[in-house]
Amino acid sequence: MKKIIAYCYSLLLLYCLLTSSFVLAQTPSLSSVASSSPTVVVDKDIQQLKDKIANKVSEIRKENNKAISGFVLNIDGNNMKLDNTGDVNQVKFDDTLTKAFKVLGTTKKEIKTNDITKGDYAIVSGVVVDNVITANVVLIDENFLVDSGKITEINKDTYNIKVLTSDKNTYSLDIETGTKQYLINIKTLVREVIGFSKLKEGDMVHFVVKKTSEQKNNDYSGVKILIIPQEYFIK
Amino acid sequence: MKKETITAIFFGLLFGAILAVFISLKSKDIELSKNKVIAPPKEKSLTNLNGLEMQPLEISEPANNAIFEKDIIRFKGTAAKDSLIVIQSPIKDLAVKNTQGKFDLEFPLALGENSIKIVIYPQEKQFRPQEKYMKVYYIDSEL
Repeated sequence: MKKIIAYCYSLLLLYCLLTSSFVLAQTPSLSSVASSSPTVVVDKDIQQLKDKIANKVSEIRKENNKAISGFVLNIDGNNMKLDNTGDVNQVKFDDTLTKAFKVLGTTKKEIKTNDITKGDYAIVSGVVVDNVITANVVLIDENFLVDSGKITEINKDTYNIKVLTSDKNTYSLDIETGTKQYLINIKTLVREVIGFSKLKEGDMVHFVVKKTSEQKNNDYSGVKILIIPQEYFIK
Repeated sequence: MKKETITAIFFGLLFGAILAVFISLKSKDIELSKNKVIAPPKEKSLTNLNGLEMQPLEISEPANNAIFEKDIIRFKGTAAKDSLIVIQSPIKDLAVKNTQGKFDLEFPLALGENSIKIVIYPQEKQFRPQEKYMKVYYIDSEL
């Protein structure tokens, strides 16, 4: 009986070996391909390989290149911490690599990283490694908030409007002489300059305001407002 | 029992088992291919109480937090036909009618961070506006 079992096992083993060898036979090994091809060293090929590697490195760098922004929490030598609505990011400066600029409207002025102070709004671009971004470029700019909602209240004495957004936030916006005020013409969809008297409760308003590091509530001075009159929605 | 008989029984059983496994696998495949999908397909439209459907706002370009080396980008995506698209940033306000359903709009960027809000006001007033907020960065390659 033992002999029979051994015989059966050997047959089964032989069958398994045969079937697996078919599968293995379908994948040619790299070494066999490499050894069969002639190994001719040509400068052109080396250059192509170098270019390929350089492209890949630049691709990987681009992939890892990120931009972050936030208010400067603290700055100490070559390290800076940025706060973006609760998220704290660590930034490292590289003496030879990092360039810093102050954005002045449409122009920029080069500054030193020492000129960056607590409370500044910084935009940093660089490579992220272990949650630390090594800055290639630091831009010191103003922080703008862009949102929209329905006008729920207009105070004609204080030139203030209250806006309720879709996420149930209420903003109080002061409309000042410097605030750019526009209205969408409901027929042509062209933007027209308007005055405060044109605003109505129930209109939709798209607004831009400046945010500072000290800002705690939702009271802002409007930089720009764009009104979509309620007539657009009942036409 | 003779050795040959035992071998024949063994191979008979083995062949039978292989055949049974093959048939059961094949019948499962046939059954699956014949079956109809009962679960509804992934919703690609918004429906209101009256059963009217609206295409949701989808932006294929640009991606949130994307970095650009040029100061002009294109907003590409789909939204409800004949809706009003409003795109606002600190430097630009854009209001256009989405006549095609698909949109491809040029939009300028300021140096550094660009906070942009996109709102779609559907033509059917019973639908709520759809909104998307994103930040994109224009970092001049010469910096």
